[in-house]
Amino acid sequence: MSSIREKGYHHWDGQFLDRPRAFWPITRTGIKLAFGRKHFKLGYTFSFLPAMIYAAIIYISERLEDFKFIAQGGDKLLQVNPNFFKSYLTLDLLYFAILILMSMGGAGLLADDFRHKAVQLYFARPLTKADYLLGKAGVVIFFVGTLTLVPAVLLYILKLLFAGSFAFFLEYPWLILSILAFSLFMILFFTAFILLASSLSNNRNYVISIIFGFYFFSEILRGIFSVIFRSPFSALFSMAANLKQVAAGFFLVKPPYDYPWYLSFLLISVFCFLSYLVVKHKVRGVEVIK
Amino acid sequence: MKVELKNIHFSYGPVKALSGISLVLNEGATGLLGPNGAGKSTLLKIMLGFLTPDEGDGQVLGYDLRREQKFIRQRVGYMPEDDCYIPGMDGVSFTAYLGELSGMPRQEAMKRAHEVLFYVGLGESRYRLVETYSSGMRQRLKLAQALVHDPKLLFLDEPTANLDPAGRQDILELIGEIASSKDISVLLCSHLLDDIESICTDMVIINKGQIAASGRIEDLKMINYRLYELKIKGELPAFRLELEAAGCRLEETEDRLIKIYTPPDFDQMEIFRAAARNGVQIRQFARSQSRLEDLFARVVGVD
Repeated sequence: MSSIREKGYHHWDGQFLDRPRAFWPITRTGIKLAFGRKHFKLGYTFSFLPAMIYAAIIYISERLEDFKFIAQGGDKLLQVNPNFFKSYLTLDLLYFAILILMSMGGAGLLADDFRHKAVQLYFARPLTKADYLLGKAGVVIFFVGTLTLVPAVLLYILKLLFAGSFAFFLEYPWLILSILAFSLFMILFFTAFILLASSLSNNRNYVISIIFGFYFFSEILRGIFSVIFRSPFSALFSMAANLKQVAAGFFLVKPPYDYPWYLSFLLISVFCFLSYLVVKHKVRGVEVIK
Repeated sequence: MKVELKNIHFSYGPVKALSGISLVLNEGATGLLGPNGAGKSTLLKIMLGFLTPDEGDGQVLGYDLRREQKFIRQRVGYMPEDDCYIPGMDGVSFTAYLGELSGMPRQEAMKRAHEVLFYVGLGESRYRLVETYSSGMRQRLKLAQALVHDPKLLFLDEPTANLDPAGRQDILELIGEIASSKDISVLLCSHLLDDIESICTDMVIINKGQIAASGRIEDLKMINYRLYELKIKGELPAFRLELEAAGCRLEETEDRLIKIYTPPDFDQMEIFRAAARNGVQIRQFARSQSRLEDLFARVVGVD
């Protein structure tokens, strides 16, 4: 370690910015730190695989004559309609990829700050609790958004480009709004879920267990209740099933479970609200000095 | 005037934490002392703008405690007691990041981070991950992040905790230099009275939510008490009772040295008269050099 005062202290003569988006440095740093984690870049790249497959399907569906040799009898599978976009946004593989990525880059968002007592460093700055939470949420929003909203919109644009006409747009004029609305709903859910999990422990490994435990346990619970009660309402216990049910409502297609989709919508909305309350309670600015 | 508090009251529910704190902090270094639960932390929280007082008002660097808390935090540097950092960041990114969160433009925060890291002696280690730093290096890093936005007032909470003697001396010298010649006022909160005595010219002692003493350390030592050290032959209890009735406080050390703290206007001959009345022989009598520990003990009423 070098000796102290290698260089003198100079006053800074600059001006503080009156920053309206104080959360942005927190989001930017969170994204940068996530990319710095081992294997994250690889995992992130692979998460785009479903989107690339769907893009290929759009291309093939528009060139069915050229691909007859591989698409025999697959016309139904290659239909690009609202269900196609719904199926992309409700892919189990996509959910799993999001959870893997968030366990690497999102689990420590709050947990690491709690563990290393960094919260006090943030709140000793001119930041509000909303700035801090928005900054952390921004990291999840970025990753979930780039895996859901961005590819879904790009797939939609790709469909229009390959079709070479606005027939698809005219057939489903509301579809782009459905894509936007459901993607945003998913982003909101995953943001609330990841931040809630991250706030429940100081140890990122426990947070990862909570994330996957919740995902798998909710599925197991759905299976058990489904066998015992043979009721479609068993799907209300499952995270993935609820998202699929809501997606059906947003995309105006038949719900996979026989109960109104808005029940799942309500359940997830309440979950997000409660998560917000818990996270807000866990992050306390006044605990700066013990 | 850096800080001015007027009649500050604050309660945590039914528990009264501060009762009528009024104080003025000027340029230079001021020590903040008090036993556990005295209200030091609450006072710091109020000065940093985290808590709003129930009653009273005040200003920090000219900004109102109740309405301009954001501006206070922008211009105040805070070095926490805890070992705190953000894992995954190197020293310079960490420091620049916190500068940016204070409101500095990104590039200037980075430039400034390099400067302050050199200043605190971490210039060579600034590209290392902060989790690989030793505890002494982390202590310097905390000082660097508190200085990065060039605050006008620095709150230091136990700045020499976890440091070896050499590291402690370095940090104390650095803080002393900042306080004396860098136009940055320092409020030093420490349990190590030697640290406060070596850096601070002024001191505030808080006890039970109230200011027990405040002012220049040298003056306080003179005003609050005189200290005599005695060795005696004879029975102590009656002698002690008589002196305590006269407003003195007695302590007996392990090597049977009697320390007598007397009020400032107390006539020292009364000690001899009390000894004579109680059949106690004084074998050694000296007026002692007053120390901060003695002042603290006297003011707070603890050993």
